[in-house]
Amino acid sequence: MIWWIVGAVVVVAIALAFFFRRPRSDTGLESFRRHIDALSPEARREVIDRVNRQSRPRNSRSDERDDS
Amino acid sequence: MARDLAIDLGTANTLVYMKGKGIVLNEPSVIALNRQTGEVLATGREAWQMIGRTPGYIVAVRPLRGGAITDFEITERMIRLLLQRVGVSRFTRPKVVICVPSAITEVERRAVTDAARRAGAADAQLIEQPMAAAIGADLPIDEPVGNMVIDIGGGTSETAVISLGGIVALEAVRVGSFDIDAAIQAYVRREHGIAIGERTAEEVKVAIGSAEATEDESQAEVRGRDLMTGLPKTVILTPEEIRFAIDDVVSSITSSVVRCLSKAPPELAQDFLVRGMFLVGGGGLLRGLAQRIQRETQVPVKMSNMPLEAVVMGAGHCIEHYDALKRMFMGARR
Repeated sequence: MIWWIVGAVVVVAIALAFFFRRPRSDTGLESFRRHIDALSPEARREVIDRVNRQSRPRNSRSDERDDS
Repeated sequence: MARDLAIDLGTANTLVYMKGKGIVLNEPSVIALNRQTGEVLATGREAWQMIGRTPGYIVAVRPLRGGAITDFEITERMIRLLLQRVGVSRFTRPKVVICVPSAITEVERRAVTDAARRAGAADAQLIEQPMAAAIGADLPIDEPVGNMVIDIGGGTSETAVISLGGIVALEAVRVGSFDIDAAIQAYVRREHGIAIGERTAEEVKVAIGSAEATEDESQAEVRGRDLMTGLPKTVILTPEEIRFAIDDVVSSITSSVVRCLSKAPPELAQDFLVRGMFLVGGGGLLRGLAQRIQRETQVPVKMSNMPLEAVVMGAGHCIEHYDALKRMFMGARR
């Protein structure tokens, strides 16, 4: 029985050590590449399209007010 | 779980972008207080309508001037109320990215981040407005080409050269569209002997103000208080005299653009001649300003598709890709 407990403690300790392990440090190249990729037009498309969609109903409402 | 936020904390307007949702708030950066009790009576558009029209016990203030916090406590309260309006509570503490002028001092930086944290943010990072504007204006800043952005706001005007995701050259002046309004007020007081409020001055600017002569110009009738008699008085203002009144302010702005151009590396400078410079910010909407900058710099000037939202869109993109774009935040580069 005690060996089961010791075994469980060892497994938990290994799992915790794995979970809280120091992450592999990014190389500068990888970090820079991620940075540049995040600034690409494709990456920005989502935000720009979202805000454009939001502004479109507002613009059409103000156009209707101008026309009336 | 709170959605993370990006805030364009401008001298004139505050815009908030919520991760996954878009722009959820766009209000003037004004707060109205009971002078006696300190109680907040209104914020945003409601408070803006009170400017210059309040009884003695109410004061409507802009807690940011020239891009800087002039009253920390009031700014914190304004941010807190704005965050509450977009659903932030003491149980939902989002990460926040705040756009600030690049000329901000270390003390002012700390004031902004402290105000945001005390207002309910779990973490507050700062990003320079020109960088955020370039991202939001969809410029190819990920490429090794020169991108030039001119951000003219209410209290500051900043010009930046950006390439490969970073600022190469920067020039900033604490002069913006509010200074144009103040110049109009001063001119009308000096030349016509009447006092007008800042909202009236802004209306004059929008109606007949320009940096250069344009087609279809007309005059404007302005009502104010006669300084000698104290009685209401109406005067007629012409576009020519308004251009004269605001010329010093406009010249400060155009001079800063020229200085930034002179700082740009030659390899990048040739890119501007082909691609042009991009104008963002509400101040950039002044009639004839783009043409004047183009004339004085001999470089084409283009207006961004969404000049008023470009900065918050750029910051919003940083929130959407927070981990990848962390190095853009002001504290991260030290």
